[in-house]
Amino acid sequence: MTTTFDSLSAGDTIDGPQFSVSRESIRLFCDASLDYNPLHLDDDYMKGSFGKTQFGGVIMHGMNNFGLISRMITDWAYPAGAIHRRLETRWVKPVKPGDTIRPSGIIKAKQSTGKSRWVLIDVVVKNQRGEKVATGEAMVEFPLDLFCQ
Amino acid sequence: MAQAQAFETDFWKDANLRKVWDEIVPGEPRKTIPYTLTKEAIELYCKSVGETHPLYFDEAYAKTTRYGGLIAPPSIHIMLMFSCTPADDWMRSPGTVNAGQSWSYNVPARPGDVITLQARALDKFIKRERLFVVHDNVFFNQKGDVICSGRGWTIRPA
Repeated sequence: MTTTFDSLSAGDTIDGPQFSVSRESIRLFCDASLDYNPLHLDDDYMKGSFGKTQFGGVIMHGMNNFGLISRMITDWAYPAGAIHRRLETRWVKPVKPGDTIRPSGIIKAKQSTGKSRWVLIDVVVKNQRGEKVATGEAMVEFPLDLFCQ
Repeated sequence: MAQAQAFETDFWKDANLRKVWDEIVPGEPRKTIPYTLTKEAIELYCKSVGETHPLYFDEAYAKTTRYGGLIAPPSIHIMLMFSCTPADDWMRSPGTVNAGQSWSYNVPARPGDVITLQARALDKFIKRERLFVVHDNVFFNQKGDVICSGRGWTIRPA
């Protein structure tokens, strides 16, 4: 069934894609994002101490979570003719090679303004143990001149 | 012009040229570089996060949509942040930890766009012995349209 602004209710859920994290996926994200911070490349570097934060081995880019959440939101919005307008995220727990993560969303509220309609979505990324690794909030616009795809 | 081929992937190189937390002045613009976004760069980014939507790959399909042609995923700014900044930009300092981000999206980036960035640290503070910088960033296309704007919180290496 096609999602419409009117048919949405607070509490409706959005399922995002599962993503398997490996050294290769992290290296690919380095090449694609141009972020070659040694946090994501060098285990030895991660044994050092810097800035009071220790991870004990390479970690996935926080922005890889962001990209996965964004993918979930656009894949949900495009078929409804809706537009991904905002995403805010915080990283809760590091993600490491061998982890499997999956974003999901819950509709929190919807609101009409003078010229458009908006849906607020609480988002979370969890790992294979059900632990939250990232949380945030997204905003999707359902324009009045819907152009469904 | 900084293109992917010339991109310095060794973030230790030039590390001594980058500003540390003490030297970062909130409000002072960062040096940025115009970048021409390519279809290949979009496709590589899509591959890294598993994006498969035809809006990013299929020109014929994309022409039938509200977008009228191929676009990049909204989160392409993750890559633009590095393609639009020079090797001595402090966002590359090894040990920089991303603590959170918020981004607003206006018009999509498209292959062939010449993208510019206006960026600065907006604030810096210390919390639980960690050195934070808040940075704000706005990406524009060649027509002067805002593509997206965002704010990030990073923990700086000591």
